[in-house]
Amino acid sequence: MGAVTELHTARTNPPWEGLEGPERHAACVIAAREGHRGALDVLVAELTPLVWHVARGIGLDRAATEDVVQTVWLALLRHVEAITEPKAVVGWLLTTTRREARRTQTRGNGQVELSPEVAEHVPSTEPMPEAEALRSERDQQLWSAFHKLDQRCQELLRLTVLAGRAEYRVVAERLRMPHGSIGPTRMRCLSALRGLYHDGDGGR
Amino acid sequence: MRTMDDYEMDPAEQEYWLAQVARLVDELDPVPPGLVERTQFAIAIEDIDAEVELEAARWADISPLAGVRGGAPGTITFFVGDLTVMVNVTRTGEKQRIDGWLVPAGEHGVEVRVADHGSSATTADEGGRFVLTEVPRGTTQILVRMNGGKPRTVVTPTVEL
Repeated sequence: MGAVTELHTARTNPPWEGLEGPERHAACVIAAREGHRGALDVLVAELTPLVWHVARGIGLDRAATEDVVQTVWLALLRHVEAITEPKAVVGWLLTTTRREARRTQTRGNGQVELSPEVAEHVPSTEPMPEAEALRSERDQQLWSAFHKLDQRCQELLRLTVLAGRAEYRVVAERLRMPHGSIGPTRMRCLSALRGLYHDGDGGR
Repeated sequence: MRTMDDYEMDPAEQEYWLAQVARLVDELDPVPPGLVERTQFAIAIEDIDAEVELEAARWADISPLAGVRGGAPGTITFFVGDLTVMVNVTRTGEKQRIDGWLVPAGEHGVEVRVADHGSSATTADEGGRFVLTEVPRGTTQILVRMNGGKPRTVVTPTVEL
């Protein structure tokens, strides 16, 4: 009886069950190394939004970002044995995504990255979301203002939003964002967003 | 000329603008539907051998690919390191024919995985050419298993064919 119960438990409760944050990620990495099917799927399901927004924050369009997301997870599949600190897999994902996104960006169509001053006068290069997403004028204005921010601000603000959520608290630690406080850099970015938004509104 | 005062925001205003960014992140620029599932398919590769190097290829030139993503057959290219693979897709009724060319040439194994449809495999000829017929349409990933020298497997992100 005991053996049967034990087997049952092992089958229904994967090692990451009931864990949260870095402990959960670490359990998935370790299980994946041991050949546990589904362990990486859990990480993919839970951390793809992070990978997505880091790559988008670097300035890739949505199609290129889709490829980068898959490339990053394939890289994790390849390197899962080599991750020395399983709890820090989020840090590994941040670093790998940035590197992969920059590599894709410099390769893309031989385009040279535009300086913010030049980019401001070329609004058509904004990586647009699905057209139907930008239904209202207000959304268009927000989108346009956000993409006139410098790249550093775009990435920082996207990550600030994610880091404010329980499941991504580890991002805040990694980026040294103290909980509940907006540092001077993020304040400057938010303020720049406000300025650009109002500029686009005919100086309301 | 901006002064420091321009950067000041009271907490309510900070909240407001952070909420705007949150709306952009969640509603205007969400993860595309199905991307998590496509990624899970892309990494569910059988026969991963610890001794064989696994390399993620990149699709070349994003813009022509956008046409292929829309479902129109055509030629697409992917590459990794020194290997370039050109793939030409032709519709044959409900299925499709895939003609490929590996550069540099080599008699490498080629596998085409289609989500929910298993996979088809062949070996390139000495000129690096390969053909797969009757390949189902759908979320597709191509693998090239390179022999000779250090064995390695090249895998692509998925593409809708």
